[in-house]
Amino acid sequence: MSEQAEAFVRRTGGEWWMPYWEAGRRRELRFQRCTDCGTWRHPPGPMCPSCQSFGVEWARASGRGTLLSWVVCHPPLLAVWKERAPYVVVLVQCEEGVRTMGNVLDLAAEDLRMDMPLVVDFAPSPDGDLVPQWRRA
Amino acid sequence: MSLKDKAAIVGIGQLPFSKNIGRPEEVTALEAARLALDDAGLRPQDIDGTSKWSIQNTAENLIARNLGVPNLRWFGEVGYGGGGGCGVVAHAAAAIAAGMARCVLVYRSRNRGSGGRPWAGTSRERDQSQSESNETAIYAPYGFVRPVDQVAMFTRRFLHERGYSTRHLGWIAVTTRKHAMRNPMAMMREPMTLENHAASRVISDPLRLFDNCLETDGAAAVLVAEASLARDCRQKPAWIMAASQGMGPRNVTMNNFFKDPILESPGAHAARDLWRMAGVTPQDVDVAQLYDAFTPLVLASLEEYGFCKPGEAGDFVEHDGLGVGGNLPNNTSGGSLSEAYVHGINLIIEAVRQIRGTSCNQVPGARLSMATSGNMVPTGALLLRGD
Ligand SMILES: [Zn+2]
Repeated sequence: MSEQAEAFVRRTGGEWWMPYWEAGRRRELRFQRCTDCGTWRHPPGPMCPSCQSFGVEWARASGRGTLLSWVVCHPPLLAVWKERAPYVVVLVQCEEGVRTMGNVLDLAAEDLRMDMPLVVDFAPSPDGDLVPQWRRA
Repeated sequence: MSLKDKAAIVGIGQLPFSKNIGRPEEVTALEAARLALDDAGLRPQDIDGTSKWSIQNTAENLIARNLGVPNLRWFGEVGYGGGGGCGVVAHAAAAIAAGMARCVLVYRSRNRGSGGRPWAGTSRERDQSQSESNETAIYAPYGFVRPVDQVAMFTRRFLHERGYSTRHLGWIAVTTRKHAMRNPMAMMREPMTLENHAASRVISDPLRLFDNCLETDGAAAVLVAEASLARDCRQKPAWIMAASQGMGPRNVTMNNFFKDPILESPGAHAARDLWRMAGVTPQDVDVAQLYDAFTPLVLASLEEYGFCKPGEAGDFVEHDGLGVGGNLPNNTSGGSLSEAYVHGINLIIEAVRQIRGTSCNQVPGARLSMATSGNMVPTGALLLRGD
């Protein structure tokens, strides 16, 4: 993979994201949850926007959600993605109230319906690491 | 206290837009500044403030040193690229209202036509875009890194919930192109039909090529002056009647999918403050420049700024509703879709021309002229009025 492509595929995000990616490698979907008020949050960050607590745990999510929206990406794209185009990216409303994204497995763009139930699965991103992805529930 | 009517835009300057302007951004920024000074009938010695986009590569000290500004008393900047333009002018007006400056130079030079794409890691803006690394992590593993992808994700949900179609997006592209055809500065002046729009290639379904703004090299500047100075300038002042910024909850650049309601973008927040400060309603606006880096942004802004109720924007844009003589003449210079994409400073300049009566698509008797910035990112809006 070219250095340029790698820069956009690698999972940056710094310390707040590390537990998310580590969980993915174990085939687990985890999000931050406030240890004071119990509110889930994603994307991750240091403070609970509901109660301003710094207390946080990485709790296991059910992996169930619904499809809020999707796009089908066509070129112009970076080389590593061009090979896979056209590909689908989905926005998922998780049961816990947070939203996250991913590609879809075993689903073509034509199969997608707004608000359809989805379930998490795990598949490699182009850099080889397992990341959360989505399939038909 | 508010900044209402404390300052006016008195000078505008822009260079011809192109794919490759052939000289560095610091040079074109200075050329644009000189044009704006000439337009206003002011000298560099009159400038005592600068206001710029945070991702503007050329710093204010280089501008002030080369222009020969003796003392810069105030200098500021606003983040978020396309969301920053009206905020940059708003900050200038705020500094003037607070007595911290009397004449503020606002400038934007950007070699994006020749300079590569930030999302591809090939431009000078790359470092700034990557500084939001926490947010890149949301998208990068899934090949979701282009602005068009993020707007497309919003768009599919938006069309679904409101009952709009991509044909409504086509109307926006076609009307904007029609305006550009009368603008000798516009980069795209070929006629466009709804069929041309629908047949253009898919970039990020549901968005097509003609839903996207242009890759542009360009530079432009405006001068914001306090009331007493504004009255002495060469041109008719475009008074800053209201200016606002907005971000909304749980914001994530470049788009925000993580809040409720999901379709409410930062423009909805900037809108409330804008109308409150101005003391007028959307129905009083004569002409608008609603930020159009992508066609769906215009559709969303029509709702957010109160020009129509949710679900009514589709009918509003059909049959040339945004044309001169329509419900709300919009992007009368051809906007970001057909004139040039320079983070919206061209939209602000066109809003001033409408006040002056010098637009190539002049709205007869225009007195209230509006501009907005990118509404999928933290944004801002301006309401200008003539005397
Ligand atoms: Zn909490």
